[in-house]
Amino acid sequence: MLELERVTRRFGGIEAVKDLDLGLAAGARLGLIGPNGSGKTTVLNLVSGVLTPDAGAIIWDGTRLDGKPAHEFARRGIARTFQNLRLVPQMTVRENVWLAQHTLSGASALRRGTKAERARAARVEELLAALGLEAWRERPVSALPLPQQRRVELARALAREPRLLLLDEPAGGMTPAETNEMGDLIQHLVPPAMALVVVEHKLDLVAKLCPRIAVLDFGRKIAEGTPEAVLREPEVMQVYFGRGPDGADA
Amino acid sequence: MRQLRRDASTSRGAKAPRFGRHDGSVWGKLARTSVGAGAMIQFLQSLVDGLMIGSAYALLALGFTLIFGVLRRLNLAYGSSILVGAFAGAAVFAQWKLGGWAVAAATLAAAVVAGIYVERLCFWAMRKGAAIASMVSSFAVWMQLEELLALLFPERTLSFPALVERSVFVLGPFQFRTEYVAMFALAALLMAGLEWTMRATRFGLAVRAVTEHPEAARAMGVPVARIAFWAFVVASAIGGAAAYLMAAAEEQVTLHSGMQLTFTGLVAMMIGGIGSLRGAVLGGLMLGVVETLAQAHLGGSGREFAAFGLLFLLLVLRPGGLLAQDFAARDAAALRRV
Amino acid sequence: MDDYLLSVLANIGMFSFLALSAYLLLLTGEISFGQQAFFAIGAYASGVATALWGLPFVLALVIGAVAGGAAAGIVGLLTLRTRGLYFAMATLAFAELVRLGLQQWIYVRAIGGEPVGPNGVDGFRGIRYVFEHSIAQREFLAIIAGLLALVLAAFAIAERGRLGSLLRLVGADPLLAETQGVNVKAVKVAAAAGAGAIAAVGGCLFAHLNTYIEPRNFDIMLGVHSLAYGLIGGLGTAFGPILGVLIDVGLLESVRVFQGYRMIVFGGLVALLLVFMPRGILDEVRVRWLAAPWRRRRGSMARHARA
Repeated sequence: MLELERVTRRFGGIEAVKDLDLGLAAGARLGLIGPNGSGKTTVLNLVSGVLTPDAGAIIWDGTRLDGKPAHEFARRGIARTFQNLRLVPQMTVRENVWLAQHTLSGASALRRGTKAERARAARVEELLAALGLEAWRERPVSALPLPQQRRVELARALAREPRLLLLDEPAGGMTPAETNEMGDLIQHLVPPAMALVVVEHKLDLVAKLCPRIAVLDFGRKIAEGTPEAVLREPEVMQVYFGRGPDGADA
Repeated sequence: MRQLRRDASTSRGAKAPRFGRHDGSVWGKLARTSVGAGAMIQFLQSLVDGLMIGSAYALLALGFTLIFGVLRRLNLAYGSSILVGAFAGAAVFAQWKLGGWAVAAATLAAAVVAGIYVERLCFWAMRKGAAIASMVSSFAVWMQLEELLALLFPERTLSFPALVERSVFVLGPFQFRTEYVAMFALAALLMAGLEWTMRATRFGLAVRAVTEHPEAARAMGVPVARIAFWAFVVASAIGGAAAYLMAAAEEQVTLHSGMQLTFTGLVAMMIGGIGSLRGAVLGGLMLGVVETLAQAHLGGSGREFAAFGLLFLLLVLRPGGLLAQDFAARDAAALRRV
Repeated sequence: MDDYLLSVLANIGMFSFLALSAYLLLLTGEISFGQQAFFAIGAYASGVATALWGLPFVLALVIGAVAGGAAAGIVGLLTLRTRGLYFAMATLAFAELVRLGLQQWIYVRAIGGEPVGPNGVDGFRGIRYVFEHSIAQREFLAIIAGLLALVLAAFAIAERGRLGSLLRLVGADPLLAETQGVNVKAVKVAAAAGAGAIAAVGGCLFAHLNTYIEPRNFDIMLGVHSLAYGLIGGLGTAFGPILGVLIDVGLLESVRVFQGYRMIVFGGLVALLLVFMPRGILDEVRVRWLAAPWRRRRGSMARHARA
């Protein structure tokens, strides 16, 4: 479904992502981990079309998408959340989520009363209820605490019914309890047909959600595989924990 | 300002006697031997004239840029607030027949007072982030000040004392008008003074810090609001000086100049690139030259057309102004926050 | 209704088009000082259509709107890369270029023995359609009101559906809008063209009511005023800019007492108002608060639909 072939992206003199090869099948779950500055968010930006690669190709369903504007990526079924949260502050929770549905087939920019539209509105209510946001639905998002704002972002992305969902640190800034809850919600709400890429620092969350993870360091992929296997690799241990396989400091 | 342009072009109309007078000089020989030399000399004359009037424009642009750099907001009342200064100077001249320094002092003082009024009401009182509201508010005050001036000075036009005696001196095939040379000299002095202030004083350092990164400056203890106030004062003083120089060169002030002053400064600032003091100077000089050239070749309305045409073209082709950084690089930096 | 009141209402109507034009652009996040250019284009184009080409008013209206919309669309395309303040300046520069261009444009023909047509600085005389077709001032006011109602209805429909919110999304966070599948460039150009057409319709009405227009009518002051209406009246609803027009024109009339002090008073009031309400009177928050009872009802209907 999604292929990244030798994708490279530079910022000034720094190579944020270098020669990255990544593949994702429909319904796959991939975790993306790595130290700060390893390029994880850049990868998400590239896959969602926000950034254009300097080299390499991004292929979706056999078509090259790199170089196209971000809305082309979105329209083909790629949705994402943002690490630093991007919600429209003065709009209500419900409006932020409802707005996202405009790309769905049959969704109208103008009409409200049709059967299809009513179904969409019902779906929004479902999502809000599932994420415990019902009480907040008419409040402007700026009034919500951080964990609730992250849920709104998730609801908005899910409302798009995407084929690929990119989550950028969905539990950022949350306590372990809140992280756990978020993990349960994600597991519960992401249907099997939807592919998922999760960028996270919290390894337990990633391991819970993704049977396969890739590790980045300085823009290069240094490992890929099951969480158990990958986390035992020496290079990964070096980079993440700063110590060799025998536990001694490197 | 329109009057100036007409005088300049009529003086250039007397071409034939000029060349006859300089028979033996290098320039004269050059003029007689090369075919396009007449046009070339006229071009250079326009260039020189343009640079001189452009120096006053540069001052206006500097005032705008200072305010924008520190406050990140556009002050649409700038032109009319410094016009208040010019009218105060003219009033001093009319009332007490004082000249020179007294008039200059009155002009600057009144411009600063008007500037402080604008700063307090339209900028200091506004909440953070209400940039557009500030702009609209400054527009409202612009109208206030214009009406105030119209009420106080129903004649609409007052005479203004000249800075130096009006005369023309000749250097080679070029003519220099003393009032414009004086303008250029004083403007250059002021610009140098401003540059020195920015580089060598703590105030200048604070202004540059706030311009570059207001939050960081605040975190380092820079009293941002106070710096903004004083930057406004300096900008008003510079603008007052510009208004004084222009009024002295024309020996009159008119009410209509308010809009012209504002938009000249704005256009010049835009050409050079917002936020850059060097850019402001470059923009002002360039605008002066373009306007003068257009006036010489296309007449009165050609002048305005050239100014706005240049601005539009620049904004379409180089959206950040002449000296602005590459937009793409800035975008990339902004995107890294995502 | 006496003539004076009729003319006041007519002015409110016509300037509302300008205010709505600037408002539409503000929604998509662009500040424009230059909508008066399209007002002028609409005025001149439709004036030429009726006075020089003898076309019916409706056709002239369409021609004016298309001319204004097309010009605005082109400007929108050219300024796609230009952002924020630079965009504002570009619109201002364009408007001045239009005004200066009109000062040079001469297209005069003898119609019925008299010279009719745009005559550069001297303006465009003889847009006598209303006289030739015996349209009373009252009837023309009805036309203005009708067209304004149409435009407001269009805005209302957009606000009901997702379109209004999508426009605001583009204005608030274009990057987010892109990732939500919105073609931001297309939206901005379309909005620009729409705004140009709206302003042009106002211009057409202006030309035909006044029968005489000159480039001086379409100066920067007009442009900044149209922007100010939306910012004062509030950006939460299309009625905000209308409110702004009402306040300006209403104050102008009621403050006749102040005669020469009108701008001082009005200017001061506006400045003070903006200190306390920087997003205008009918801003998004206030409009939401006002509309809350309706939203709650709609919300509960949606919840019942789920059951």
